[in-house]
Amino acid sequence: MSKLSMKDRYGLLTRDLDWSPTYVDPKDVYPYTTFEGIKIHDWDAWEDPFRLTVDSYFKYQAEKDRRLYAVLDSYAQSQGHLGLSDARYLNAMKLFLQGVTPLEYQAHRHFAFLSRYLDGPGPRFAALCQSQDELRHTQTETHTLSLYNKFYGGFHSFSKMHDRVWYLSVPKSFFDDAVSAGPFEFLTSISFSFEYLLTNLLFVPFMSGASFNGDLPTMTFGFSAQSDESRHMTLGLESVKFILEQDEGNVPIVQDWIDKWFWRSYRVTGLVAAMMDYMLPKPVMSWKEAFKLYFEDQMLDGLFPDLAYYGIRPPRHVADAIAEKDVLSHQVYWTLYSFSFAAGFTTTIPEKENLDWLSAQYPDTFERYFRGNWEKAQRIRDAGGRFFFQGLPQLCQTCQIPMLFTEPGDPTRIAFRRSEYKGESFDFCSDGCKWIFDREPEKYVQAWLPVHQIFQGNCGGPSVPEVLAWYGLQEGDAGEYEGSLDQVSWADWHAKGGE
Amino acid sequence: MGVRAISTYEFPSADRQEMYGDDQLVHVHWKGNLFMCAAACFRAPRAMPWADFKAAMVDGWASSDPDYTPDAPKSWELDGRPFDPKPDQSLADLGVGHKSLISFAG
Repeated sequence: MSKLSMKDRYGLLTRDLDWSPTYVDPKDVYPYTTFEGIKIHDWDAWEDPFRLTVDSYFKYQAEKDRRLYAVLDSYAQSQGHLGLSDARYLNAMKLFLQGVTPLEYQAHRHFAFLSRYLDGPGPRFAALCQSQDELRHTQTETHTLSLYNKFYGGFHSFSKMHDRVWYLSVPKSFFDDAVSAGPFEFLTSISFSFEYLLTNLLFVPFMSGASFNGDLPTMTFGFSAQSDESRHMTLGLESVKFILEQDEGNVPIVQDWIDKWFWRSYRVTGLVAAMMDYMLPKPVMSWKEAFKLYFEDQMLDGLFPDLAYYGIRPPRHVADAIAEKDVLSHQVYWTLYSFSFAAGFTTTIPEKENLDWLSAQYPDTFERYFRGNWEKAQRIRDAGGRFFFQGLPQLCQTCQIPMLFTEPGDPTRIAFRRSEYKGESFDFCSDGCKWIFDREPEKYVQAWLPVHQIFQGNCGGPSVPEVLAWYGLQEGDAGEYEGSLDQVSWADWHAKGGE
Repeated sequence: MGVRAISTYEFPSADRQEMYGDDQLVHVHWKGNLFMCAAACFRAPRAMPWADFKAAMVDGWASSDPDYTPDAPKSWELDGRPFDPKPDQSLADLGVGHKSLISFAG
């Protein structure tokens, strides 16, 4: 008997298992795929570029897991954490575990939902595979970073922090926005805008940072996830092209979603920008360089000319993002530094060599607008103090980031935008965030803004210690890195090692 | 356009004024000083006299910057318009509303 071809095998093990409902109305079986206004005429036109089957999927993933866990074991047994570039590097991983890992889990859940509720067996199966990937990433990221939880602050209680801590409401509300949308908007937001347009600016920088700073486990995790991520990127592009090809009326709807989700995703990457430029003792490349390479060159110059064929133009407000690349990381990290008394990681004034690196990477802006802040912060340190923002910041109603962004082209003036809706004022950091609110004010008036929730008394109490306790923060998690438990332990371990 | 939803989609604002009783949210921005990364947000009674608001909230917050002195703020603005608050006027009398933005130059 001859062996089946890959294509036949895939057909038999996936689409061939599908059936058409006869005694239930298909509209009742798939109730969520019409209300967004998207029209699909032929679900079978969906081409799965990978033709995975369940058995091959699990066999392949199990092999990758075995390799990862072998590395984790040997790293743990050899006290590998002592070989990191510096303990402060782990602040980047705390941000990753608190901010990104819970999104993997959210993605797992929502792709599981799509694997039940999309009408076509092809896209349902693709969603099933991605759902499994996302669950596996949640587990492997947690296991990888749990190696550090034994020795360092900030890694415990990460999912509680994700639900409660102020800067984590940025990624959390982003994903809540996506999963509460319809299935096609979800695909455009997460699979396309997040996974395709921006994954090289979201996921890859953490993994490259790991590689440059001696974090072998995270780097190995990154490699083990890489093939999944490239599959997710392809799925993102496939799903958008599929929707666009199905009906001309879908084009303006998808364009609106691309406009919205580019800006939503881009705002989340502000945290990554700060991480890349400020949290890595050995930086990989600047945010500015990464944005130019991965977004301007690869997406704007590479992808969007292809999408023009479908009638899709580059995202609205993209010019503001480009203009911001010289200032973004500096403004965001300065904010994290100002508020790190309430964070699940520590911050510190960059070392002189890092400041010089920033001056070289940002010749037009760093010395002129930002280095002075660090010099002033250093003077405060030298006098025995530590600068913190003694209060709570104004937040953007849409992205939930403190309103720290400046007017496009003028890094000296904070941008304020405002809308009125049903007699109430709402504030925004940018034209992009205001535009998103104005499209769907009913959605964003419900925002759980951390600052306002503290003032309503919903976060443990009115005082800072009460709020920090409610956040799940423990001694050593927050504040200044110099003199922190992590820094003291690190110095102690290395002093002993040198004796 | 509004939200496309599977059913009626209408929810109250999470931060409507009534959630704060006799108080309201007030934002204060120190113009031109990027050492303070963003405007601050306070919960303040509408009946609070300006002098108390300035001393307890504005000065407390702005003193995070060691270069701040309480007599430094000038050119006050309320929601983008010039504003000349007197010490015994209440926030309500001054027209400071829920989520108003008060700014000053230092």
